[in-house]
Amino acid sequence: MSEDVSASSQSATVQETETGTDRSTRSAPSPRHRLGTIIRRELRTVVRTRTFFVLALAFAAVVLGIVWVGESVQAGYVPTLVDLLTPLELLVPVIAIAFGYRAILGDEQRGELDVLETYPVRGRELVFGVYIGRAVGLLVTILVPLALVAVAVVVTESDALTVYATHTGADSPVLFGRFVVLTALFALSVLAVALAISSIVSGTRSALALAVVALVVLLVGMDLAIAYGFSAGVIGDSGLIYSLAMSPLSAYRGLVFESAVVVAAGTGPEVAAPIASLVSLVVWTVGSLAVATWALNR
Amino acid sequence: MTDTSPILEARGIDHDYGTVSVLQDVSVTIPKGSVTALIGPNGAGKTTLIRDLAGLHEPTAGEITYHGPETAREIGYLPQHPAFRPGFTCRETLEFYASLVGDDEAAAMEHLSRVGLEDAAERNVEALSGGMTRLLGIAQATIGDPPIIVLDEPGSGLDPGMSMHVFDVASELADEGITILLSSHDLELVERIADEVLVLSDGQIVQRGSMTELRNRFGVDSLWSVYENAIGGDLDTVRVQGEHA
Repeated sequence: MSEDVSASSQSATVQETETGTDRSTRSAPSPRHRLGTIIRRELRTVVRTRTFFVLALAFAAVVLGIVWVGESVQAGYVPTLVDLLTPLELLVPVIAIAFGYRAILGDEQRGELDVLETYPVRGRELVFGVYIGRAVGLLVTILVPLALVAVAVVVTESDALTVYATHTGADSPVLFGRFVVLTALFALSVLAVALAISSIVSGTRSALALAVVALVVLLVGMDLAIAYGFSAGVIGDSGLIYSLAMSPLSAYRGLVFESAVVVAAGTGPEVAAPIASLVSLVVWTVGSLAVATWALNR
Repeated sequence: MTDTSPILEARGIDHDYGTVSVLQDVSVTIPKGSVTALIGPNGAGKTTLIRDLAGLHEPTAGEITYHGPETAREIGYLPQHPAFRPGFTCRETLEFYASLVGDDEAAAMEHLSRVGLEDAAERNVEALSGGMTRLLGIAQATIGDPPIIVLDEPGSGLDPGMSMHVFDVASELADEGITILLSSHDLELVERIADEVLVLSDGQIVQRGSMTELRNRFGVDSLWSVYENAIGGDLDTVRVQGEHA
């Protein structure tokens, strides 16, 4: 994807000369305009794809079902988020992968990436545009049910809150808000991984296979590796929370515990390295998008 | 044909896929405002050359020079099997591409009308016939008014009537001053609209010239006869490249 029409490599050289023309000249629109165009197309795609709609409904049903059956909503925000944490650790990556694993592959299979190469669109603009568009759809899918859960807590909580505490020993919507924000960050990082997969592979089967591998690695593999490293003595006591930060899932889990659960309990062991965990989620996101851009420009 | 100065030149193009050499020392000059047709047997390297010239991938060696005006989109491209993102109408599809070069909805509709698809503007792309999809692809290729449009086998898989219509649209674009480079196996239609013909065989240009020049060169009266003479050998045999690298 580039603005250069002439292309060559190694011993090849590129030239572009102007000899005048009878066709009108025009300049390309701004990168922001191009990005906006790509984002709008992705948003329309998300809205019009029935699979995403069904996925969103199923996710909402599962989330609301868990808190309804568990009756945690009556106990408060923190019990509710604790109830939701483990299911979300599984569901959020699955949904994020579903939103992203064919996002760029589909365009490649249809030959639209080739066509887009003849337009003034850079690879990184396409990747960011697709990512932002899909991210909006993904966040709506995940955050709306969580917002409904928060409303359910407000409506059904047995002891209505009078204090909005952020620290030590109190249930609070602020803590639930942190949980929601961290869930969004986790979803965005996995979506970026899905987009990288979508850019690297050349077929739907390989995309599916790589998506499954990514899910296994993200959901189980990295945690198992850290557990093995800890039990084998490779990872020391002091380094454990930093090692956990390397896995996006463990980083997410640790951040939720550190900022929403342990805080509410008032006391407890240090369960995560918050800064390292946040940096890890950002690195997974940015790194995956960089891989996607590199793959597109190959 | 309004001007014989070249708008696109390729010199000494080599293209290898691993150990398979698909193009060897290919030099091509595309005159401005002309229809240049690239013909040759399957596997001769037509699509590879077309994609090199369109800037879609990099040749292993050689030099490609664009002499046209600096503009938002210098080369329009129709793939061999055009397809579009499902769930969008023809109008929405062209609006997306038009927006990438700064054009508005009205411009998108103009491009749709240019290929005769205005009545299908609100039809979803997945509901188009093969011919209509090809026409939508040509409309897409004209977005941004690129000085050169590259059409990779625009008539393949279409019925004779639609194939002729697609070539007529290409011819009309050339009449408007757009340079057309196309590849095709339909020699009758090529004969009908092409100003220049390049015959590619085994990764090399074996003949080139205007229709009249080529006919006179071989003392024949049709492009098919020119093709037979230029390609030589057994036309019933599929040629497999890969002995050159």
